[in-house]
Amino acid sequence: MLSQNALLRSRIEQKLPSAFTVYRRPERGCIPTGIAQIDEAVQGVPLHALTEISGSNLASSGKTSLLTSLLAQATHDRYCALVDAGDSFDPTSGAAAGIHLPRLLWVRCGKTRVKLPPLEQAFKVADILLQSGGFGLLAVNLSEISERVVRKVPLSTWFRFSRVIEKYSAALVFVAEEPHATSCAGLVLRVGTAPPGEGLQAARLSRAGMIDCTAPFTGNLLTHLNLNVEVVRSREKKPAASEKCFEKYSQNYAQRTGFSLHTQWA
Amino acid sequence: MFACFYIPDFPVQAALLPEPAEARATLRQSPLAILDGPANLPRVFATNVPARRAGIQIGMTKLQVETYGGVRLRPRSLADEDSAQTALVNFAGKFSPRVESTCPGAVILDLAGTEKLLALRQNGLCENNSRAQTPRNQPPQTKFSSQEDFWQNAARAITTQAAEIGFDLRVAIAANPDTAFLAARGFSAQHFSPAIVIPAGEEAQRLASLPVDALPISPEMLEILKGWGILTFRALAALPTVAIVERLGHEGLYLQKFARGNVNRPLLTTTPDAEFIAAFEFDDPVETLESLFFVLHRLLHELCAKLLAAALAAQELRLTIGLEVRQIRSGNKEDEQYRHEWKLPVPTQDKNLLFGLLRLQLENTTLSAPIRRLLLEVVPVRPRVAQGNLFAPPSPEAEKLEITLERIRGVVGSADPNGIACVGSPSLVDTHQPGSFTVHNFSSDQNEERQCHREEERQCHPERSRLIREANQPEESKDLYSSRKSTEFTRVVALRMFRPVLETSVELDGEKPHFVRLWHRHRRVLAASGPWSTSGNWWSESAWTREEWDVALKTPAGLGFYRIFRDPIRQQWFVEGVFD
Repeated sequence: MLSQNALLRSRIEQKLPSAFTVYRRPERGCIPTGIAQIDEAVQGVPLHALTEISGSNLASSGKTSLLTSLLAQATHDRYCALVDAGDSFDPTSGAAAGIHLPRLLWVRCGKTRVKLPPLEQAFKVADILLQSGGFGLLAVNLSEISERVVRKVPLSTWFRFSRVIEKYSAALVFVAEEPHATSCAGLVLRVGTAPPGEGLQAARLSRAGMIDCTAPFTGNLLTHLNLNVEVVRSREKKPAASEKCFEKYSQNYAQRTGFSLHTQWA
Repeated sequence: MFACFYIPDFPVQAALLPEPAEARATLRQSPLAILDGPANLPRVFATNVPARRAGIQIGMTKLQVETYGGVRLRPRSLADEDSAQTALVNFAGKFSPRVESTCPGAVILDLAGTEKLLALRQNGLCENNSRAQTPRNQPPQTKFSSQEDFWQNAARAITTQAAEIGFDLRVAIAANPDTAFLAARGFSAQHFSPAIVIPAGEEAQRLASLPVDALPISPEMLEILKGWGILTFRALAALPTVAIVERLGHEGLYLQKFARGNVNRPLLTTTPDAEFIAAFEFDDPVETLESLFFVLHRLLHELCAKLLAAALAAQELRLTIGLEVRQIRSGNKEDEQYRHEWKLPVPTQDKNLLFGLLRLQLENTTLSAPIRRLLLEVVPVRPRVAQGNLFAPPSPEAEKLEITLERIRGVVGSADPNGIACVGSPSLVDTHQPGSFTVHNFSSDQNEERQCHREEERQCHPERSRLIREANQPEESKDLYSSRKSTEFTRVVALRMFRPVLETSVELDGEKPHFVRLWHRHRRVLAASGPWSTSGNWWSESAWTREEWDVALKTPAGLGFYRIFRDPIRQQWFVEGVFD
């Protein structure tokens, strides 16, 4: 004989079949970024999730290089799409990084007299590509869009993207100056030039207090950039539970890693 | 053996053919009459079975028919009948290369030697039969009790396929073409189950019950025969031949041969229509998309039915719209044309897909004048026969990809002011000019990738080709060693481009840049690498030359490594991008 609880439960389930179903996130795979230090820290960019890569637009933060490296890895065994809101992608750099160009769909926004502003174009195109499916990596580059404009994108938009991408075995990557998706993002990386005094010789203060940036130059040639990356948020690791464990959290979770990139001619 | 495909009530079926399948099925169940004649007094020219049951007769005036109520009336369309006849001939061409377009709504085809083909089409029933060595003109016997059984099954497969393209078809098979034609046209629907098969030697016996009206006979001759009491084929066939010739001449003898099923003649074969063009001219210029889409859908339906009948698929679709531009001052009318063409990555017969492409394009296009005429042209190819590749990466569905790309083009536009596509696959160009690239059509087809690669290789200069070769090399063509190493790509600094390049001013310290104006501020150059001089096309108007510098600038957010260059021709400095 069924108990009252079970009876009630069965009646509810008759009308709402998924009322008592526990939502389980799909098992996550990853696309390696091609930069060993980042892959060691977060195993790459997660599938079924939204990822944000942020970095300064004025300084050489390395966010475009990270995106290029990620595309090079992804086009090895997937078809990828790059929605370029500011038309800033350089195919020569991409080819040098190892992107398999025929497997890359490049959408250049803001190049014609279409009434929509480039940001809206980029979001619309991302929507279309998500609906279409079949792409293993969908990257949206908002680097050239002003920070003020991107900040006005409502949170519901990021939430919708994060829920849609959960259904597909694909990674959705946004590249912008600042992260905006907050908790909707599965992974947030912040990249930038290596600050002085961390063993990275990209820029070091001389005795006179001037920035001495001769390190990236070998002779008269720009040869490499020393950068660092900070994992701001990752779903793979639990967030800090309280302020008490902030120290431990900041040590283990919001970790900072340095890496070096070479120029094509180096 | 010869088969006759006959469409009863042909004008009615031809009028219904452009309708969608659901609407056609509904219209077939309701009374429908086709009107023909002068505009002030049209008369009923053809009816369907429900209309005849309702009492509508050929020759009634429009006013008489309207008194019945519930009867749909349509004007006769010769264009519809022509296209339906063409579709019927093309459909018959699927079963035999020798097809005669006998009269509107009827074709005769020679089935000699096509038995194996017909056996294969019977839902795979006769796989063994197709392999068996059967003599010519003898149907495979393995699974069928008799020849008639085989032909009945073949006719069933034919009528099923005809129903798919919108024809309610009657099939008669006989040893000579005219017997097949008379049987198909003369017998009523209940005799077809699903076909009438008349074996050789039984023609007179099987046709005996037909009325003499079924013969291709003149009214005068019919009156004479009826006056003699000759009402059926049996009665005509039984008359003495000599007496017939004496009284009715050679025409009478010929009619008697028809009645006996003894006429043998060669087929007047037609070549199938090789052009896949559909056109429409509006009575009045059209300004709304709804009216345009309605007609376009209908034209596409015709073209796709034609493609299906010819076992072909569309590789390219071309749309030409004739616009009416009125020049009021001179009083003349001058036509302009709007053209657009789609090159499909995968050949298709799907009319919905093609219609989607047309709809998306036209919704994003503003025409300068009302539309007067339409022309749709399809470039046919053989349909793609492809087997899935286990080792190919998951890719966007090829059939839907073009629709997706078209939707994206609707959002971002087709091409930039330089004519480079906004949507596609980037590709390097064989030039030393920095920042030059092109954008190809994106395709998820592996063969397309290879073709693109070969095209690049052919056009490329050897010194320049290394990057292009590596970037465009198909993955499966790489050797084992390179595929092992493929995950270990070089970590290269990417350049984030400014398009168009930013004009700037530079203060020099000697030859080196000292301050660069960027984002409205002068920024100090901490280090500089250069100048790297390049030039090209000096022999033409598109000559270019530049002196490049890679500079480290001090910015509030940290160090910024920028690429700047000076154009000696324009005497101007530019910022090309930032190493990011």
